[in-house]
Amino acid sequence: MERTWIDRLRRANAWLAIGTGAMLLACAAFVLLDVALRGLGLHSFGGTEEIAGYAMALATAWGMAYTLLELGHVRIDLLRARGGAGIRAAADVASMATLSAVVTFIAIQCWPVLERSLVNGSRANTPLETPLAWVQAPWLAGWAWFALVSCALTALSLSMILRGHAGETEAVIGAFAEQDTLQ
Amino acid sequence: MIGTVGMGLLALLALSIPVGIVLFLLGFGVDAFFSSFPLSRGLGNMVWSSSNQATLIAIPFFVLLGEVLVRSGVAGRTYAALDRWVSWLPGGLVHANIATATMFSATSGSSVATAATVATVAMPQAEKLGYDPKLFSGAIAAGGTLGIMIPPSINLIVYGFLTQTSIPQLFLAGLIPGLALALAFMAATTAMCLVRPGLGGVRRTFPLSAMLRALVDLGPILVLFALIVGSIYKGWATPTEAAAVGVAGALLIAAAFGGLGLEMLRLSLLGTVKITSMIMLIVLGASFLNFTLASAGLGREINAFMDGLGLGPLGTILVVVLLYIVLGFFIETLSLMVVTIPIIVPIVLAQGYDPIWFGILMIVLIEMALITPPVGLNLYVVQGARRDGTLGEVMLGALPYAAIMLAMALALIAAPEIALWLPAALE
Repeated sequence: MERTWIDRLRRANAWLAIGTGAMLLACAAFVLLDVALRGLGLHSFGGTEEIAGYAMALATAWGMAYTLLELGHVRIDLLRARGGAGIRAAADVASMATLSAVVTFIAIQCWPVLERSLVNGSRANTPLETPLAWVQAPWLAGWAWFALVSCALTALSLSMILRGHAGETEAVIGAFAEQDTLQ
Repeated sequence: MIGTVGMGLLALLALSIPVGIVLFLLGFGVDAFFSSFPLSRGLGNMVWSSSNQATLIAIPFFVLLGEVLVRSGVAGRTYAALDRWVSWLPGGLVHANIATATMFSATSGSSVATAATVATVAMPQAEKLGYDPKLFSGAIAAGGTLGIMIPPSINLIVYGFLTQTSIPQLFLAGLIPGLALALAFMAATTAMCLVRPGLGGVRRTFPLSAMLRALVDLGPILVLFALIVGSIYKGWATPTEAAAVGVAGALLIAAAFGGLGLEMLRLSLLGTVKITSMIMLIVLGASFLNFTLASAGLGREINAFMDGLGLGPLGTILVVVLLYIVLGFFIETLSLMVVTIPIIVPIVLAQGYDPIWFGILMIVLIEMALITPPVGLNLYVVQGARRDGTLGEVMLGALPYAAIMLAMALALIAAPEIALWLPAALE
């Protein structure tokens, strides 16, 4: 039962990650166009820096849950790896619970940022004068999604352990597999 | 405070809590115990302003560039081409391993991707041509580490961001030490194979026509590197703009070699998002810890701490080097770099050292961490690509190269100009 839900979360986040990647690709194209226009001696759009910043904030927020499900967030595996399956499962659940708590706190602390922009009708101090709430709302949603997914994953893996399937949690919340992690 | 944070850091990391989350927790701890006003209220703003950064989008762009080159098979062509050019040297293909790693690191900025790529294309050759497995695999592991030194380097972008240091200047400073390391690796390989010819396999020479034909495969990568790095150095483009140009260039090269496809693009985008979020969680945690430490008066503490130790600048830097070597046995590069920046960089700068120079020294030290056991990611990556043999062989094979890196670190301390000459000359 838990595996079905985890697979659903994985599929949903893989699509979100593709969307996030496509946004980054579009942003690269936009930056490139700006460079090309400048190279041709034409006026650039202005505001490329600003848009690249927004894209980075959104990509960061929305990619987090995918990375979590792909076991991509780096953990130092030195002591954990020396324990037996039971100790590893306990370390994994404890570290997932810690992550969920911290991420939920971050997501909650992100709300005042959006709230202030909404109340003040804040606009970016740039030529584009972007209403900040337009960017901060999807940014906050990304962090809220990360919090939601990590809490769900903690609950699902805890339930797996309680039902006596502790051996299966490693594939779900274990330390990063030997796949291509950066550096 | 410094001691408490340091101990807390090691304890939480040992519990295998994700590195980024550990940094946030330490930030909360500093806030709760050492600060007179609640800093966590600024958390949301901090997360927003540290991720809303046009400079940092260079990270996903460079990762995507590397992913595209690796997944489209350009790496295999590069290796075959370099084989024709360098296999006449004593040590033969080992030089191709190092040279390919150097070229790939120069475009993609990632060490593990570089090591994985070279290992996959090179390993089958080693068995056929009778190379010593230790030297052969160790050279790949070591060559792969150059990815974070030779620009464009993602680690240098992160360092520049967290320490408010100019990224173009860091890129300039990394070029000479990076190339010097690559050359030193090749020189050491030649020397080892001259002393013990059994280490290297069959030396092969290729006709000039084959060498010239190989240039078709090498040319595009070299042009891409020149375009990215040249435009940053010349001041035509910011690192972010150069990275966007690099992405387009990589896609063009992949298309020209017939390696561009939907599935490959999908995998590249997924890989990019995964690596970017992985880096950013750690970067955000470090930014928050930086902020709380600074607000809680780290500056004063450091001065008192250093006065108490009475080491002086040289003593301090040697202790720092030792610290990185020891930590490097257990912690990986980016994590090692980011978790130490909030504490170590202020200490080093307080002794009057140049932040650009220290960035390069730190990169050499964390490159070493990639190939020093028991935890050295490149060792595992290379072993993963081998069909048989033990991890111990890769570790032994990488040792001479780790010694060269240590020599480079000491050379940088003795002669900071190795890093600082180029940025100053082009100023």
